[in-house]
Amino acid sequence: MAIINQATKELQVKVVYYGPAMGGKTTNLVQVHDHVQTAAGNKGKLVSLATSSDRTLFFDFLPIEAMSIKGFKTKFQLYTVPGQVIYNTTRQLVLRGVDGIVFVADSQYEKMAENVESFANLEDNLKMLKLNLADIPYVLQYNKRDLPNIAPVEYMEFLLNNRDLQVPSFSSAAHKCEGVFEALNMITRMLLNKFISQGTPQYA
Amino acid sequence: MAALPQLIEEDIERLGGELRELLEKSDATTALIIDKGGFLITSQGDARQFDLTTIAALASGAYMANQTIANLVHETSFNSIYQQGEKFSMFVMGVDENCLLVAIFKAQVSVGAVKYFAGPAVKRIAVQLQIAQERDPGARLDLSELNLADPSEVFKRKT
Repeated sequence: MAIINQATKELQVKVVYYGPAMGGKTTNLVQVHDHVQTAAGNKGKLVSLATSSDRTLFFDFLPIEAMSIKGFKTKFQLYTVPGQVIYNTTRQLVLRGVDGIVFVADSQYEKMAENVESFANLEDNLKMLKLNLADIPYVLQYNKRDLPNIAPVEYMEFLLNNRDLQVPSFSSAAHKCEGVFEALNMITRMLLNKFISQGTPQYA
Repeated sequence: MAALPQLIEEDIERLGGELRELLEKSDATTALIIDKGGFLITSQGDARQFDLTTIAALASGAYMANQTIANLVHETSFNSIYQQGEKFSMFVMGVDENCLLVAIFKAQVSVGAVKYFAGPAVKRIAVQLQIAQERDPGARLDLSELNLADPSEVFKRKT
């Protein structure tokens, strides 16, 4: 859960990019890192714990200081999880203390089963941490919309967003930075809304 | 997961005092208290030559990964981890359910001394966190002045 440090006037928030392997989670962080406007020194290094073939092994991590709210510095920490099925234990570790989730789905038809499996895996892993997806702000990002063999957005909505309370979803082509900031800003908005309506999360 | 306590100036000062004492006694370079989710709570010592935000994220990940390994070898937990380097080494020890103590020290400094002095320091840090926990668990921050109608103001893309 987010940390508010009254002594140092800092609000720290953890956002995790989740989704199937090769879906574009790391690309999202790379694009945010490359294109975000920040004051000097407010953007940290993008840290990637990756294999020799550039597949995420543990997580990617990008700290960004976004803005000041009533004198509190807001520090966002963006993480990705490794998408490959075998790294499930690692995904559980990264989800610890999560405040908001961007689920990055792969729009290609042949990836639909993996999308659904990854989403179910997200719910299972949250349950392991005694968390419920319904209580955590999240958005859906339908990535790779620039490829030819993609499923209609309506079909992806039916598969991934077919719930009583539908969440915001975004079409994206992350490698072109399309839909990246839209999803990030929406999850940020939902998180801050939650803090206001429910009171603040944890304190430090 | 239990909520982290609200820390006020007094808590941060006392936690800082514990970290400073640890640094003096053990000859370590930098000491941090971090959250197991990866957040940096407070630090003492040389902060200029290290990226403490990233170290907090990675150290918590490494520690938590080791706890999973502990379970796999039928241990309840590995309460501490030690990474030995050629220039600097790192020692991470569990404080309580939510927090960890991290000490970074020069490789020629004895890890035994760091471990020896970190043990009682961790107990005193846990006591202070407990005091903070019991002080005001319901305190809140008023974010009502934030303009949520325009989320594009939060993260802007370079044009």
